[in-house]
Amino acid sequence: MFFRRRVVAAWMRAAVPVAFLGALFLYALWPWLPVHRATRAPVNLVFYGFSILEESIAHAVFPDFQKQWRERTGQRITLTTAFAGSGTVTNQILSGAPADLVLLSHEADALRLAEAGVVRPNAWHALPHRAVVNRSPLVLLVRPGNPKGIRDFSDLARPGVEIVHPDPLTSGAAMWSVVAEFGVGRRTHPENPGAGHDLLLGIWRNVVAQAASARAARSQFENGFGDALVTYEQEALLDRARGRLHADVVVPPRTILTEHVLVEIPQNVTAEERPAVDAFVAYLWSDPGQHRFVEHGFRSVNETLNRQNPAFVRIPDAFRIQDLGGWASARDEIVELAWKRRVLPELGR
Amino acid sequence: MNDEQLLRGRGPGVVVPVGLLVLVLLPLLLLPLAAVFLFAFQGGWSAFRAALQTPEAEFALRLSLLIAFATAAVNAVLGTFAGYVLSKFRFPGRGLLTTVVNLPIAIPTVVVGTSLLLLWGPIGLLGRWLDPMGVQPMFAPAGVLLAHVFVTFPYMLGTVKPLLDELETTYEEAAQTIGASRWQIFWHVILPTLRGAIFTGALLTFAHSLGEFGATVMVSGNLRLRTQTGPLYIFSQFEAGNIAGANAVAAVLAVLSFAIFLMLLGYTSGPRERRG
Repeated sequence: MFFRRRVVAAWMRAAVPVAFLGALFLYALWPWLPVHRATRAPVNLVFYGFSILEESIAHAVFPDFQKQWRERTGQRITLTTAFAGSGTVTNQILSGAPADLVLLSHEADALRLAEAGVVRPNAWHALPHRAVVNRSPLVLLVRPGNPKGIRDFSDLARPGVEIVHPDPLTSGAAMWSVVAEFGVGRRTHPENPGAGHDLLLGIWRNVVAQAASARAARSQFENGFGDALVTYEQEALLDRARGRLHADVVVPPRTILTEHVLVEIPQNVTAEERPAVDAFVAYLWSDPGQHRFVEHGFRSVNETLNRQNPAFVRIPDAFRIQDLGGWASARDEIVELAWKRRVLPELGR
Repeated sequence: MNDEQLLRGRGPGVVVPVGLLVLVLLPLLLLPLAAVFLFAFQGGWSAFRAALQTPEAEFALRLSLLIAFATAAVNAVLGTFAGYVLSKFRFPGRGLLTTVVNLPIAIPTVVVGTSLLLLWGPIGLLGRWLDPMGVQPMFAPAGVLLAHVFVTFPYMLGTVKPLLDELETTYEEAAQTIGASRWQIFWHVILPTLRGAIFTGALLTFAHSLGEFGATVMVSGNLRLRTQTGPLYIFSQFEAGNIAGANAVAAVLAVLSFAIFLMLLGYTSGPRERRG
């Protein structure tokens, strides 16, 4: 009896791990086993996007397009997506990531792609609306009840206000924020040539945490860091619609309207993908496509569609990047010179 | 130490240090793990299952498992071979080679990822020539496998080589005197004694591969439904504010790790301890 129990125990000791690992292996391999009918999609598009696009592209715009395309051509297409900070996405494509299309937070990242020779300079300008797919003003998220009484960007520079800011090295939202902070200062006091720098310095003195993307900064804010967060209106609206926003939204009277730019990476688009890529690009600017973006809190390039979302409040001075001379100059003058070479050293960072 | 010298019982001499250890471990290890499970099951069992049944989550888990199995298989062969060569052969540069194969333990995994990109990537040293031929391991599962094989290489070596070093040469000599070839000696004499070590090493490799993040995030491009592994999925979802979804996958990976750990424990401490 004793002997048999020992044998059984030894057998179990060997069999249990083998059975467990075998089951695990079978589970892992299951979708690729030949018991399934082959359902491989003939065409797969690869779409890279900056961090806040995930819900609208992956769960609304693309599924709609996929259905429409199948009805029209009978062909199944799938979308492989990757979302991260705009700068991160750009770096991935610079190092060879297989994107067919990339939707960047701002044109400065498109310029980097052109400077590296990945796309022709200004190639994206041939797309509708000079490649701007949608827009979103930068807004301020504050703690419920707005205990610090924050109304606009200048309040962020007050002593004692702690700010969570994404990192301009990797995040598009952060680039926009830096440009907005500078631009708001300059437009508020056009008579003072140093006003842009002063507001930027005041705000950055209060930055307590930096994150890699707009999304990551929001997560930090939600986890309790800081009194205020500069972010896309879209983020705030989408969360509010889902009842997930545990913060108040302050729409400042003067803020920048961010413009998100689509770039096609032609060398990654194969001949058989070409018709689908072109159709998808057209769909992004079509009324149904733009309508889906509006539903998800993005402001459309088609002003009449924006009336469909009552959450879009009118902003007295919503300026754009052209008002600051375009991204090429804003990147050099504001991000490089004013922020990186002046403000950061002045703060000892 | 003699058995009588060990402190036993429930007196304050035992309770205080044991209690202290638990108290220290609570915030360091136990509570963080508990938090993962609490958050994963915040919405109840059905929400947990729903979070796991999204195509992205299922794919990420499956890919992680497949990569872990493949990594364990590749390194079981490569690591055993490396251990055999480094232990049984004497040649100039052996010390250097031993250091090199153990290097992955010391290199930050992000650096491993970067180095692989700079070699195989489209702008890399080799990738530059391979890319036009359509060979592109980076941003594909093959690249993830390359990264995991690199990062986990020393684990197999660590379990196999010490055993080989200690293995009495008398058996090998005996086999040699009756005319066995090197290959026959390896296959019939050495390999059977290594079975346990290879299994342990493979499990260690498997566990490390399952949790690998730093190198994977660099070489994979983090493509959903293509190269996004479990840990990358957790990170992406956490960043996107989907804490429940992230924690559901985190809980599954944690349970798998426990299971593997228990197997390791059972295998390494089984019969020997029970003998006493």
